[in-house]
Amino acid sequence: MSKHNNSVPLEYQGEENDLKIFGFWVFLGAEIVLFATLFTAYFTLVDRTGSGPTGVDLFELPPVILETFLLLTSSFTIGLGVHAMRLGRVKPMIVFYIITLILGAGFIAVEVDEFITYIYHEDATIQTSAFTSSLMTLLGTHGAHVSFGLLWGIAIIIQVAKHGINKRTANKAFIFSLYWHFLDVVWIFLFSFIYLKGMM
Amino acid sequence: MAQLFPKEHVLGFIGSIILTIAALSVVQFDVSLTAGLVILWVTALAQASLQLVLFMHIGETDDKGSIYVITLYSVVIGLVTVFGSLFAMIWGY
Repeated sequence: MSKHNNSVPLEYQGEENDLKIFGFWVFLGAEIVLFATLFTAYFTLVDRTGSGPTGVDLFELPPVILETFLLLTSSFTIGLGVHAMRLGRVKPMIVFYIITLILGAGFIAVEVDEFITYIYHEDATIQTSAFTSSLMTLLGTHGAHVSFGLLWGIAIIIQVAKHGINKRTANKAFIFSLYWHFLDVVWIFLFSFIYLKGMM
Repeated sequence: MAQLFPKEHVLGFIGSIILTIAALSVVQFDVSLTAGLVILWVTALAQASLQLVLFMHIGETDDKGSIYVITLYSVVIGLVTVFGSLFAMIWGY
């Protein structure tokens, strides 16, 4: 935590900015452990399906591929948003952030549809079996994070539109991008070890 | 316009798409459970590293040492939680 000069990007400049980004990495460390405990519950209970459906019955490839594509692309566009911010280009930055949130909203829409299918067409609710409980808690916690990210992202865009790119707004926008990329990282593990492994 | 799409970001995005397609091979082809799990671990870890390094800029400041330690520590705690529980409750030891 020693760079308080102009050789680092705007979002790191000043001790407070530097510490906020560092602190956010600490928070992400806690998030890793949170998701690890939910994964633990899932992996431990995955075969306890009772009289309810199993993973093979529930999971379908097309919506999962669509969700993955939406979230991966949104991770790319927010990366471009941060890049535009570092070039000092407000308009492209805001456009990239808006595209990111639209893709994120698309992800949530597909996931809500997936949950509706589980609950109303497959008779699998969060109370059906230990498997569906742990599955829906894990997927739901990730989905809740993305939903919260949508609201946070809107707040970021409003602030950047209002005040332009300065030390404070750049810092906030960068921290939001860390959060968004992190949710993509979590999704990669959901995609691989819940859906793909469940369908193998 | 071109400067808004830096090469490493575009290549990283293409890389993440390729890794996703590679992971999909475990359901498209008839692979054994072990081979499938190896493929999934390799593609997931590569994908996660790609995000952390390229898009989250994990190693770009003087804090990188501490940030690597925090992230690795959390990952180790997470892995111990997952595999310790499986070891004790599922695999029958």
